[in-house]
Amino acid sequence: MSQPQSLIQFSRCCLLKHKVCFFYALLICLWCVNAEVWADNHYEIVTYPGVSEKVLSVNSLRSIFSMHLKTWPDGTKIRVFVLPDDDPLHQSVSKEKINVFPYQLRAIWDRLVFSGTGQAPIKVNSSEEMLAKVASTPGAIGYLWRADINENVNVLEIK
Amino acid sequence: MKMLTCSRLSSYLLDSSKRLGRWLVLLLIIFAGAVQAQGFDPKKVQAESDRSSAKWLQASELPAEASGSDTTKKKSGLVNSAVNWFRNTNLPADLQIHGFASQAYITTSDNDVFGNSDNGGSFGLTEAGLNASIRPLPRLQISAQVLSRRAGKGNSGMPRLDYAFLDYRLYSHEVNQFGIRIGRLKNPFGFYNDTRDVAFTRPGILLPQSIYFDRTRNLGLSGDSVQLYGETAVANIGTVSTQFGVWWPIVSDKDTELSILGALPRGQLNREVSFIGRGIFETNDKRLRLGISGIWLNTSYDPEYKSNDPVGPGSFQFTPIYFSAQYNAERWSLTSEYAIRHLKFDNNFGLTNDGKSRNPINGMNVLGESYYFQGEYRFTPKWEGIVRYDAYYADRSNRDGSGFRIPYAHFAKDIMVGIRWNVTPQFMLRAEYHHVNGTGWLSKLDNNPAKEGPLSQHWDLYAIQASYRF
Repeated sequence: MSQPQSLIQFSRCCLLKHKVCFFYALLICLWCVNAEVWADNHYEIVTYPGVSEKVLSVNSLRSIFSMHLKTWPDGTKIRVFVLPDDDPLHQSVSKEKINVFPYQLRAIWDRLVFSGTGQAPIKVNSSEEMLAKVASTPGAIGYLWRADINENVNVLEIK
Repeated sequence: MKMLTCSRLSSYLLDSSKRLGRWLVLLLIIFAGAVQAQGFDPKKVQAESDRSSAKWLQASELPAEASGSDTTKKKSGLVNSAVNWFRNTNLPADLQIHGFASQAYITTSDNDVFGNSDNGGSFGLTEAGLNASIRPLPRLQISAQVLSRRAGKGNSGMPRLDYAFLDYRLYSHEVNQFGIRIGRLKNPFGFYNDTRDVAFTRPGILLPQSIYFDRTRNLGLSGDSVQLYGETAVANIGTVSTQFGVWWPIVSDKDTELSILGALPRGQLNREVSFIGRGIFETNDKRLRLGISGIWLNTSYDPEYKSNDPVGPGSFQFTPIYFSAQYNAERWSLTSEYAIRHLKFDNNFGLTNDGKSRNPINGMNVLGESYYFQGEYRFTPKWEGIVRYDAYYADRSNRDGSGFRIPYAHFAKDIMVGIRWNVTPQFMLRAEYHHVNGTGWLSKLDNNPAKEGPLSQHWDLYAIQASYRF
């Protein structure tokens, strides 16, 4: 009589343990996903320190990276720097901040370049190059992982 | 005798141009390999730390050192530094230089597309362009492009000035822009006309011919123009960008003259003041794009009076309206465009070229209709597929061309499937297949029934293309 009961108890315990395990696994998974999301937001739009803008609307940001808005409000040239189309940071900024797929940005730039109605952004190949270029080119705008940002560039707040 | 040498010379030239084409393709393929190899290596290097990449580079230079050839090292250093200079130097006034080159191989079951394509295929379509732009002032941009296109008898490959203009931004505030462009400008109509010669920007080796005729492309491509343009935010959902221009079209080429007048004239077509405009609405995320464009083209015929040209000084109006729509998702895009084309000839065209009968184009007043549906799918960023159905009707009230001697010359229905491989961001290969019912948009210069017999109603087209850009 006691044997089957203990068996049931044992199996219940096992089941519970399994459930707990499952729950923990789920939690860890969620946590990972969350961490990933958090990591994705771990970048900023940066400008040349001489640019007086501190806050920019999403629409203006999109207009700048679409190469349609060409001057800062004070009349100086905007110079846009981007990483290659397949760079993870470029893809994140494109999809999350600008809210346009990278292939569409490419299409927009190609239309401008080959009809003469605009220019392409300047391509850099690494975060170091991005930092160096944005820090040294008047009117420059680009993006960087937070870990790569130093005092040589300004961080823009996007509303 | 003279004729004979001429024909020999031309056949020799044709031959050599064919050979040249083949060489070009071979070169492009080799180049593709090289580019791919290059594109692959840096990734490998990136995976390692900077220091080890430097070591790797040093190691790769070792053999050259070991062989004792100092010059190779210097040379590579020179090339490297040149490339670095170009990349690192802030070129004066933000100078940018871009270009492209494409070579296609086209073979057809019947009828000719860009050369003698139904007889073993041809390398008849070569496109190349080079452009430069500068911004001497923050609000001023100057751009110019030279274009060479070798395509059948209508385009010899002779470079032409594609565009060259000043663009001044009069007003600019956030999303709202307003400006003026003066010079030779690309004609803004539909989604693709502005960059129709750049293989990277167009869907397929051949654009939907019902809308973007290659037959009268010189007419539609660019013209001398003054354009106003603007872009403005619509509520908080998207933007509307508009262009409107006064325009003097380029009509002085054989393909255009033949298409409009029906026979090669002794005199020439004159350009007259014409108008063009386009408006495109885009949602902020660029997923939905809706466009409307219109052209009001005027030309007139200037008879050659010295030789008693029987064709009279008539005038011709072409006033098409285009509706465009596109939806873009991450993986796929759907595009459709519709055109209603109004052609109107007045009664002053006199007689036909041979002077024997009344010119049939006198008083002609027809509404043509064209449309296409297109789906693109991006399997990966490197591989894309495309399908399209494209229909052209010379006269929408007589879609099957009944009553004409060759009914199927008055329509064309084209089903197309294609695949595109973006080997690197700079290099692209693609292939496509068309099945066409009708000959409505075929070039009359390339398909002369007097020389090659009647055209076939049902025909197939296979094409491959390699394209490079920078």
